[in-house]
Amino acid sequence: MNAPQTLNLRINGESVPASALLHDTLLTVLRDRLQLTAAKRGCNQGVCGACTVSVDAQPMRACLSLAHNCEGAEVLTLEGLNNDPRMQALQHSFARAGAFQCGFCTAGMLVSARALIEQNPAPDDAAVRSALSGNLCRCTGYVKIIAAVQSAAAALREEVAAS
Amino acid sequence: MSALQGFFRPKTVAEAVALLAQDPDAKPMAGGAPLVAMLNARVIEPAALVSLAGIAEIQGISVLPDGRVRIGAFTRHRDTAASPLLAGTCGAVKHAASQIANATVRNMGTIGGSIAFADPGLDYPPALVAAGAEVEIAGADGRRSVAVRDFFVDWYTTALEPGEMVTAVLLPAPEAGAHGVYVKHARVAGDYATASAAACLAKDGSVRVAVGGCGPTPLSSDEANAILSADRSDASVAKAGALLEALADPLDDVRGSADYRRILIPRLLRRAVRSVEGQA
Repeated sequence: MNAPQTLNLRINGESVPASALLHDTLLTVLRDRLQLTAAKRGCNQGVCGACTVSVDAQPMRACLSLAHNCEGAEVLTLEGLNNDPRMQALQHSFARAGAFQCGFCTAGMLVSARALIEQNPAPDDAAVRSALSGNLCRCTGYVKIIAAVQSAAAALREEVAAS
Repeated sequence: MSALQGFFRPKTVAEAVALLAQDPDAKPMAGGAPLVAMLNARVIEPAALVSLAGIAEIQGISVLPDGRVRIGAFTRHRDTAASPLLAGTCGAVKHAASQIANATVRNMGTIGGSIAFADPGLDYPPALVAAGAEVEIAGADGRRSVAVRDFFVDWYTTALEPGEMVTAVLLPAPEAGAHGVYVKHARVAGDYATASAAACLAKDGSVRVAVGGCGPTPLSSDEANAILSADRSDASVAKAGALLEALADPLDDVRGSADYRRILIPRLLRRAVRSVEGQA
């Protein structure tokens, strides 16, 4: 019988008990049990990237990760990155560049973009396109999103140079 | 309501195959894409899942004492795409890994899960055929290995018997001066291949090629390889392309018509051969 079982997940640096059915995805647990709704349920098929979260420091699809398989992993969602300097720079530059319209893809874009500039502080446009190629946006045409990631990366480089 | 009644996280291959032997409706799970996507869409309803994520023995890439390269089944595409051990003709496999889907999916997907899925539009199969790979399989009765050409049997069908799982992919020892490439044609970045071609060029000039996305299993031909090993002129590449095209049995689907895929075969083959020559 597939009754809910209590899992001990590590989410945003804290141990979080969560109730999950065997087939529940990490996305279902985040959104429907823990009310962490930054990650969005778009296609639920791993195609659109709206559900992107960081698992063990790599962007992954929350909709393709079974919650029971995530015990022991460090999960980071946008909610846990409020005080992260890279995320703050990205959020600021997305707002300034107008890098969204409906905003549905934005949380996933931000998680993917943060992983990119963590690994590569000075990406060229091709690297930004490649890093975001798993995040679909149906509104913007991507140009402003790429500009926003570049301006956040530049601002972070300036901060490092000034410190 | 899902039929899923068990979720297991074994630590060894022996534990995993014992769990698979116990329940014929249990399925092994590697990176989860596309298995969880099919679960979400209720296309499959396994009774139990055996997660292979905790099995250290099937993770990572290593060189065996005889020089062959072993890619553990649970090695993620990201790591295969970045491995310095995949030199020589193994480069075709590394090159294919770098072109799978997108960066996020490459963080999740594994080589064992990919080839066990055996979708004709996958990137690894033609690269593995051109590179002359073997697939190591574990079951309740022990281990066996099969040539990758015999591993892919039909649409979404492999040589895996019920209760078996892929444990590794084995590649011939890389030699200096050898090269391998994978050329993919897709509608948009991140899609499955409409058609693809892999080419490996050994130090002695021998060539091995394979075509993906144009039939239930990768296309390959000893005769085409012999022609290209003797001569790589445009006329020879065209002759080899025609031989592979004659073996094709492509689908008409959303990624392209069967006729379009047939047209792509000699063109992708030429591109792959010229590209691997360019590395030499």
